[in-house]
Amino acid sequence: MPSKLRVAIIGVGRMGITHYSILKAHPGVEVTAIAEPTPMINSFLDKYLAVRTYKDYGKLLEKEQLDALVVCTPPALNHQVLQAAAQAGVHVFVEKPGTLSAAAALELAARFEARGLVNQVGYVNRFNDVFMAARQLIGAGVLGEVIRFRTEMYSRTIIREEEGGSWRSARDSGGGAVYEMASHCLDLVNFLFGRPAAVAGTALSRVFSRSVEDIVSSTLCYDSGLTGTLYVNWSDESYRKPTNRIEVFGKRGKLLADQYGLKVYLGEANAQHGLRAGWNSRYITDVFSSVPFFVRGIEFTAQLHHFVDCIAAGGASRSRCTLRDAADTLTVIEDLFRDHAHTSREAH
Amino acid sequence: MQAIDAVVFGDNQFFGINHMSQERAQQLAEQFFDIGNIFSVYRLALDAGIRAIMLNSNDRAAEICEHFRSRASQYPHLAWYPSIPYPHKFANLISEAGLLGALNAILFKDSSALAGLGAMTQGGLALLSRDAMQLMRMLVDVEMRMFQGLDVRAVFLQNVVTDLLLGLGLRDFFEGYCEHVRRKYHALPGLITQNLPRLRTALIEWGIGEVVICTSINKIGYLMSPDLAAYQQALAANDPRRYQVMAMSTLASGAIAAPEAYAFVNALNVQSVVFGASSRRHIEETVGLIRPSGALA
Repeated sequence: MPSKLRVAIIGVGRMGITHYSILKAHPGVEVTAIAEPTPMINSFLDKYLAVRTYKDYGKLLEKEQLDALVVCTPPALNHQVLQAAAQAGVHVFVEKPGTLSAAAALELAARFEARGLVNQVGYVNRFNDVFMAARQLIGAGVLGEVIRFRTEMYSRTIIREEEGGSWRSARDSGGGAVYEMASHCLDLVNFLFGRPAAVAGTALSRVFSRSVEDIVSSTLCYDSGLTGTLYVNWSDESYRKPTNRIEVFGKRGKLLADQYGLKVYLGEANAQHGLRAGWNSRYITDVFSSVPFFVRGIEFTAQLHHFVDCIAAGGASRSRCTLRDAADTLTVIEDLFRDHAHTSREAH
Repeated sequence: MQAIDAVVFGDNQFFGINHMSQERAQQLAEQFFDIGNIFSVYRLALDAGIRAIMLNSNDRAAEICEHFRSRASQYPHLAWYPSIPYPHKFANLISEAGLLGALNAILFKDSSALAGLGAMTQGGLALLSRDAMQLMRMLVDVEMRMFQGLDVRAVFLQNVVTDLLLGLGLRDFFEGYCEHVRRKYHALPGLITQNLPRLRTALIEWGIGEVVICTSINKIGYLMSPDLAAYQQALAANDPRRYQVMAMSTLASGAIAAPEAYAFVNALNVQSVVFGASSRRHIEETVGLIRPSGALA
């Protein structure tokens, strides 16, 4: 085996180029090839970077000797790309939501597992230091029995009438606020509490998009009685950058967190975790971890380094966010769509 | 290389940018909704002796530039340190319209920089986009248009762009950008980064010098990759005649008290500090504390 991990990137759009930058700066990785159908990007990479470029990922897989693949294609294409990757026997990192159905994610998970290949999905909140700290506190029972939570995400992604044309404007191709944004909230919920058993009262609203939803809300229900509400709006101009927020209420206190900080309110002090009675603040500056190279956020680098580390561990360590985890989120997404279809039928 | 100002007044506080707290960011956005309040704070900064301003080319910056340009006689002479582009605008446009659509919007539709051309056809744009260097220069020129007529000392590339290009190792772009800024704007090329050691090493290797590097420097190592120790080493080894260093995020979003923060930064081989504040007390206190021992001027 060569000393450096040979990686190819399929789809060099906004996420693909970010991952490219992070991986190229990784001393243990060599990005040897990319596949990208847009001629402008393709010819640019060909001209300025020492990388072999392909229009078609199939050709790339046929010609290249690879260890791993980073897949950032529009979500509807992911299934076939990942099937080919599993067949070629390469480890894979795929952007969220991974695939468009839970069944497809599980089928793929089984293929990668059968060959002992690392598979990871790009739910970046699992690598955010604040959310990891929140998970630790909740898991340690600091809040007591958790009764309720709220999970929210806001951004100004779509703030004008849609002109159409991109894969983002159709649900079939993985567009819409559910696949693109609510998926982050749901993955975070799964990461913190496990997968909800049912959803209810799902409402999807359009603001500017023609055929996909811009606002999503729902109630998430667990067999234990734990209940959460979901609210996502990607047409909210008041947010300068995408913001994930969670509020967790338990018998002993509550926790508020976003990517930049968390606050815990406790009825009684918890000496073990250094928390006073009343309010306690922890900022990202208190909990951040250093990364060797920073491009878009600590968590973006951390998730790819984790991927590389999992490969180096020879399959001994499971990724923190696998295709099975993605299947959990997709299961809830399917529940949301089903519940919404049902509710709208009742209403009419 | 011309020495940069030791104290530069930044702009994050005006535009609802606070890396720690959305709530605080929102308060600030509200306070500075009225642009008159922005000018009042600039007045406080000038009263405290500041003569240098860093300004990002965002939606409101054009109005700020126009104000200072048209009332030049009411203000002392100011040195300007633009930072380009406004990254969120570009990122959102890409989400909405794809890469080509975003380029089209920025270069032709939304901007009067190349007025009269109107929106370009996909084909025309694709042809133009073959020449990535020309495209980069056009994007720089669109962003720089609002600063025309001001005394521009250095033009900074925002860290999200610098660091993306750095990771990719795009030497040609760094060369092309630096050359364009020197030639067209008669200013020092500036690069904002959260990876100072790596950027400095790359620039040395590529033979690109006389550049200003603006980077997070704070005693807790926040937004400093790979870590604080590597920064300290890089700074100690740095020749400020090749690379002047401007420190930003010195308070680590408020995690460090100002006296402690600047005692740390002042002792390093740093030539300049950019900071933002919005009250007289904070501005005066900060100006009193910043004494970079590496300042050239």
